[in-house]
Amino acid sequence: MAQIAAVYAAILIPFKMGIPLVPGYAELRPANAFPIVASLLFGPVAAWGSGFGNLIGDCFGTLSPGSVFGFLGNFCYGYLPYLLWGRLGPLSSGREPELRSWRQAVEFVVICFAASLACALVIGFGVDLLGLIPFWILTPAILFNNLVMAILLAPPLLLFLHPRVKRWGLRYEDIRSSMRQEARGEGREDEDPLTPGLAPLATPRQAITRQHAGTAEPFLAARSVSFTYAGSANPALNGLTFTVNRGESVAVMGRSGAGKSTLCYALNGLIPHHIAGHLSGKLTVDGHETTSRPVWQQAGSVGLVFQDFEAQLVSTNLEMELAFPLEHLSSLGDQLTPAEMRERIHRTLTLVGLSGLERRDPLSLSGGQRQRLVIATTLIREPALLALDEPMTDLDPHGRRSLASLLATLKAAGHTLVTAEHDPEEAASADRLCVLEHGRVAWEGAPRALFSQPDLAEQFGLHSLPLARCFAGLGLTDLPLTVEEGWQLAVEHGLVVSAAEAGQPAREFPSGRPAIIEVQRVSFEYQRGTPALSDVELTIGDGEFVAIIGQNGSGKSTLAGLLNGLHMPTRGRVLVRGQDTKKLGAGQLATTVGYVFQNPDHQIFAETVEKEVSFGVQNLGLPPEECEKRVAAALDAVGLGGQEVPHQDPFSLPKGDRQRVAVASVLATRPRILIFDEPTTGLDATETQRMMRMLHRLNQEGHTIIMITHALSLVAAYAQRCVVMREGQIVADGPTRTVFRTMADPEQSAALGLEVPPITRFAARWGQILLTVEEVGAALRRK
Amino acid sequence: MNQFFLYLDGRTWLHRLDPRTKFLSLLGLFLIALLFSDPRYLGIATMVVLALTASAGALANLRKMSLLLVLLFVYCIAIWPFFVTGRTAFVSLGTYMLTTEAVEYGFAMGLRLDLILLCGILLLSTTTIEEFTLALQRLGLPAPMGFALSLAFRWVPSLISSAGRIVQAQRSRGLDLAGGSLFTRVRRYVPLIVPLISHTLRQTRLLAMALESKGFGPEVRRHGYLELRLRFPDYAALAVMVTVVGLSVWVRVAGHGVVEVVF
Repeated sequence: MAQIAAVYAAILIPFKMGIPLVPGYAELRPANAFPIVASLLFGPVAAWGSGFGNLIGDCFGTLSPGSVFGFLGNFCYGYLPYLLWGRLGPLSSGREPELRSWRQAVEFVVICFAASLACALVIGFGVDLLGLIPFWILTPAILFNNLVMAILLAPPLLLFLHPRVKRWGLRYEDIRSSMRQEARGEGREDEDPLTPGLAPLATPRQAITRQHAGTAEPFLAARSVSFTYAGSANPALNGLTFTVNRGESVAVMGRSGAGKSTLCYALNGLIPHHIAGHLSGKLTVDGHETTSRPVWQQAGSVGLVFQDFEAQLVSTNLEMELAFPLEHLSSLGDQLTPAEMRERIHRTLTLVGLSGLERRDPLSLSGGQRQRLVIATTLIREPALLALDEPMTDLDPHGRRSLASLLATLKAAGHTLVTAEHDPEEAASADRLCVLEHGRVAWEGAPRALFSQPDLAEQFGLHSLPLARCFAGLGLTDLPLTVEEGWQLAVEHGLVVSAAEAGQPAREFPSGRPAIIEVQRVSFEYQRGTPALSDVELTIGDGEFVAIIGQNGSGKSTLAGLLNGLHMPTRGRVLVRGQDTKKLGAGQLATTVGYVFQNPDHQIFAETVEKEVSFGVQNLGLPPEECEKRVAAALDAVGLGGQEVPHQDPFSLPKGDRQRVAVASVLATRPRILIFDEPTTGLDATETQRMMRMLHRLNQEGHTIIMITHALSLVAAYAQRCVVMREGQIVADGPTRTVFRTMADPEQSAALGLEVPPITRFAARWGQILLTVEEVGAALRRK
Repeated sequence: MNQFFLYLDGRTWLHRLDPRTKFLSLLGLFLIALLFSDPRYLGIATMVVLALTASAGALANLRKMSLLLVLLFVYCIAIWPFFVTGRTAFVSLGTYMLTTEAVEYGFAMGLRLDLILLCGILLLSTTTIEEFTLALQRLGLPAPMGFALSLAFRWVPSLISSAGRIVQAQRSRGLDLAGGSLFTRVRRYVPLIVPLISHTLRQTRLLAMALESKGFGPEVRRHGYLELRLRFPDYAALAVMVTVVGLSVWVRVAGHGVVEVVF
């Protein structure tokens, strides 16, 4: 049911949003093509979806008795295509609703006409009946715009979506058959010989005996668990065996695709109940097999926090958000009175440090606050185990710190934690570390044991702790994990950071190169009266590698958006190669300034990698041979060239590769300047390194690189120049080493709102500003 | 609160009313708006609703919606006189005669449309989505639909922001949305809509998993946190509404409050 509800919600919304195609004729919106497509894919769900979608659109200001007819009309619009497809007698193609033949096309047009007409008649008649708008004004308008959108826009959407939705198992038939399977009880589990067919609702007595039996067992036990996703050839988990004791905190690390998320999803039964595939082995949590009960019955024992916090919040204020899990307590004995709920909500909000914000909208919170709220929504059920799937990914340093301290509090309070993690500094605070490789445990032990062998960590595709790396060449048995330990160790062994800074390459950019970007006294406001940028002055030379850093909301992305014409300055002007961005169009600017966005999925739309990459080039209107040449060159530049990859579906690639497809699609237009917004978010150590090397190479080839990032260690290692932003202003700008010197000063660091990476902080004790592991390693000597 | 939603958090007497009271009163006001076609009657009703809006501290929302309200008003005045006629000549152009009744009727229809929208804005400004859907459920809407409705509401802002990011990403790759024939314009929306839909479907799968992980299951009966209770102000408000609607029907049946027009 949750899935059905979510599908409703998914369809409802795109329907009413969308920009009018022809100004002044607001009803002609591209979104009106969607109910037809949705109807053919999702059946009656689409009917409810488009009806509700219309109603919701009305709830943003145009709620009236006419909304009833709006609902009915759009219900027809979303229902008729599903009803009529294949039932038109001689007109029917007798095939699936795709548009691969002319007969299917004819059937499609007839259906579009019928559905559009029905919708227009119902609404036109109803609104006229109420005496709001005359029939002959509204009806032709609705008919016309529905028909235009359905016939012009729906076919490409349908062609694209049909095979994918089919693959994801989200079509109406698929969902219905899986629901039927669920309704039939544990039929599915019975097919699996490894899982005993337990009744879904364990009687209390059964539960007690099982729990009792479980005390001898570890709290969480995986015994040769294997899982292969449906449609995949390689297993994601491959004979995984590991245990977690009650009250322990375990960090799970490993490359992208090593099985970290899969393990998290298996812990509360999402695998195999929700995610199709083949599971074998035995996984028990708190004495219950995860396959023995449906997911929703496990909410009380396992709390799962997903990486993407946006998709997990469902309410309009914090109080209701936390009430939601309490409103769905499954066993009858547990139900709480509203007063008890209020008490528990208050207690949980205090625990995660959000008390006093009960009436706030979750979307108005900062990233760190939102992630803590998500954790609160799982904690409120008081689960015995809390599993977190890379919870730090989308957070800025501030958010990370606040989340890390919450996790420390939970650990101290005796919660059992399993956290999938990329960042070695976060993982180092766990009791135990478990490294996955190819779906099985490759290494297990105390974090210290792994991180004091930097080579081993890197062999598993992990980031090593930079400080440990610096000490690695000195033949010490115990390597430091934190800056404080490093200092202590230096004192014990008589080590100093010698005055090596002078000998380090300045990596400064030779001045005197022509300016390629000039930002002149620019202010920018999204809304009147609240400046996002004020009086910004910045000149970037041709061929520089500049990093823009600062906390979330400091104006980094806004500044970058001004450089490629996404925004136009409210005051002042931006010159790109001497020309005002106001005079150049966005299209013309795109060929000079390329912008690679943080999330590649916000731009990927084509069926193959090659088509995706050629999109930008084709917009330039170049001859086809030139297009092909550029696409091939761009794919080679990001390391995705060759015979195979260009013809793959970009959606099926791992995140790091999708990110590189996005880079290639921008590169193909051959822009002189490249802007990267958080290019390494969510990438593992290997992918991060590959991405950064690529940026470095592009810079060497003459591109000007502007990188927005939170990862200061990457800034230290690669950027020539560093621009620090705070509250819409540039508060520091200069060669990276100079800016880091300012940041290393405790007083100034507070003013900038940023802290230098650990190795820089370590060396700063001796008055040296060093940027990379190699620099510190070389400068670290015995007295 | 959120810039997309009309709801304005507050503690006025209208915020404190039971959402069912507010919803039923909304239906009453809709009925009144549909009963009359005399601009004077509709004008009085509009004044009352405006006063209520002011007392709920929701005038800011009127400013937000003012363009739409004015446009619809002007549109009705301009359109309706061509669809109805009366007896008294206002202007005559050859064989065509614009009648006073038709002008009055157009004016009234403009008021009616605005009055109806004002009532809706007032309700949405003082009622959270959770309260609104809960009221609908208590009044008979099946629970899964109510839940889907509130979920969908919730998603509008995050989808609009994703859509914004998608437009930016494609514009940066040289997608030019302005100009061209209708056909080329429509085709240009493919690179915008495909990522939006695949993003939405991905989020949907995640949401479904997250919901079920929080205990939302097919057999779980929702045990409400929000308590709906009809208190004295609710009964008083409902009594006033019933009286006003009753009076209006009586006045209307007695033949007042309409402009005599022929369609």
